[in-house]
Amino acid sequence: MNLSYKNLKLVACGTFAVMLVAGFTSCGKKDANSPGFEFMPDMYRSPSVEYYGTHVINGDTLNNAMLPVAGTIARGFMPYVYPNTVDGYEQAGLYLKNPIVYSEAVEKEGEVIYGKFCVHCHGATGAGDGKVGAKLPGPPPAYNGPLKNLPEGKIFHSITYGKNSMGSHASQLTQEERWKLVYYVQKLQGPKTVATDSTKTAAPADSTKH
Amino acid sequence: MHNNMSHFSLKSLFGAVFLFFAFSFGLKAQDGAKIFKQNCAVCHSLTDQKLTGPGLAGVAGRVPKPVDEWLTAWIKNNNKVIASGDAYAKSLVAANGGVDAMSEFEFLSDADLKALIEYVKAPPAPKADVAKAPVAGDVVEEEKGGIDPLYLLLGAIVILAIVLGALRSVRHSLQNSYNRKEGKEESEELTFGQEVKQWIGGHRRLVGVFVILITFGGMKSCWDACYDLGVYYDWETQKGYLPEQPIKFSHKLHAGDNEIACQYCHNSVEKSRHAGIPTVNVCMNCHKGIQTGPQYGEKEIAKIYAASGFDPKTGNYTNPQNPIKWIKVHTLPDHVYFNHSQHVVVGKQECASCHGDVKKMTTVEQKTPLTMKWCIECHRKTEVAMEGNPYYDRLHKALKEKYKGQYDVKFTVDKIGGLECAKCHY
Repeated sequence: MNLSYKNLKLVACGTFAVMLVAGFTSCGKKDANSPGFEFMPDMYRSPSVEYYGTHVINGDTLNNAMLPVAGTIARGFMPYVYPNTVDGYEQAGLYLKNPIVYSEAVEKEGEVIYGKFCVHCHGATGAGDGKVGAKLPGPPPAYNGPLKNLPEGKIFHSITYGKNSMGSHASQLTQEERWKLVYYVQKLQGPKTVATDSTKTAAPADSTKH
Repeated sequence: MHNNMSHFSLKSLFGAVFLFFAFSFGLKAQDGAKIFKQNCAVCHSLTDQKLTGPGLAGVAGRVPKPVDEWLTAWIKNNNKVIASGDAYAKSLVAANGGVDAMSEFEFLSDADLKALIEYVKAPPAPKADVAKAPVAGDVVEEEKGGIDPLYLLLGAIVILAIVLGALRSVRHSLQNSYNRKEGKEESEELTFGQEVKQWIGGHRRLVGVFVILITFGGMKSCWDACYDLGVYYDWETQKGYLPEQPIKFSHKLHAGDNEIACQYCHNSVEKSRHAGIPTVNVCMNCHKGIQTGPQYGEKEIAKIYAASGFDPKTGNYTNPQNPIKWIKVHTLPDHVYFNHSQHVVVGKQECASCHGDVKKMTTVEQKTPLTMKWCIECHRKTEVAMEGNPYYDRLHKALKEKYKGQYDVKFTVDKIGGLECAKCHY
């Protein structure tokens, strides 16, 4: 093809039009729902399988935010043996002990965790006067009140499975973090008025081993 | 002395008034309400609504007689009642899925229990105004109907073109009638294009200047547009990507007004590369109990129930589950590696330094450009938090030795390799 004057003119006009369009896209940022003009969008919206998405693979629609297969255990993870039943709760209260050695540093770490995960319902002093707690049908009971003599195992059990209005926090806190938290909750409970069942140190019943 | 006397008499007066009320009516009902709120309301409602435990409406008609004694025994230690082989107690356990999770309330005194039972038997009428709250919210939700200004402009151009055409033919016929009157020849009607060509022929210089101006203007805007390509953020107006989410979740309400820590929901931020979208069970930790919101009432919270399969009537997860399809606001391209835990735990950065003051945002907006330039600028000026940061102990010592006197012991991120290409691109 000869590069005639007419062709050149066409090319010039085309370039000009492209520039104008590009100019308009730069000021077309009115729609807040639009992310704007994406140059090479496949760098943003990758064809590879990403987390939190729905993908069709070999004709199957897969949702990435699904639970793992039942019975899956992460590496190095020790499943919690007491079941989510009344019996399990009582057994945990009797036999479950904090595996972490107490130190002030550990309690401090527990306090940090408390400030992130508990304080909005249970309140800064554990009196159940948190801002979210006030919006629940009933506020959480005070650590220093009805829960004063709650043994450590029951505290751990309740964080793991949830209790009453409270949901399970096992997905948010590792077992180690939960135990650190238990130390801080015990600090908020204050000294116990009734001796806990620490004297009963018999082995847990076989039925609780799952 | 005088003071003491008055103090004493006041005290006794108060005591007398207190006793009077305690033995008459006032305090009892109030007490019952207070005890109920503190101990029972976590699991029981006074209506038919099931929370963790069954609703208590008409409870006096259901339980075995004598009602007061049975309820007293049950509240104090329900396990004992079940163990005694009470038929109604067993049916209650069966009705709640074979699980009896009710706590024991041995610490309540007989007087407390009496007041409580009186209160539960005849609770005050529930407030009706709660259901009306959503109405105000619905008004807010209505969007302003409006036409895109571009269409308005196009419409104006079309109308002007029609008017121009009409005026041209009017002018032509006027000219012709004038020509006829003067006895001149009638002129041929020129097309619009021909007329424009004639005009351009007469104003070559002016047209040249215009062409140059428009060309350079276009090039400039093209150059500017290149800066915005793939950036969800407008540098000039400082406005970012602000998409509408499937649930009108307000960070202002949750993180701002209710002071819930960011990490409660985005709990992987300290452990992983991703801050993470909370799973629905995290929402349900509170919204199992809180079923009405301050702005949209039950409407938006119902979407969580639809996602989690929660049935608020029975309090069980029996419905089908559907994932919530949140729209991602802060996106980095695939060829960039960014690690949240590294920045938050080791670097001790606040969430707000990259995400803006989310605690004040009703809908989340991208507040920073998230471009490479922006990353690098921050790495150049941010000092590494080395003091009291065990992660850096060894490095800190080594760097102090190496750069003695050179860097004034001030180490910004770029000094420890924060500008290396392969730190983020590999």
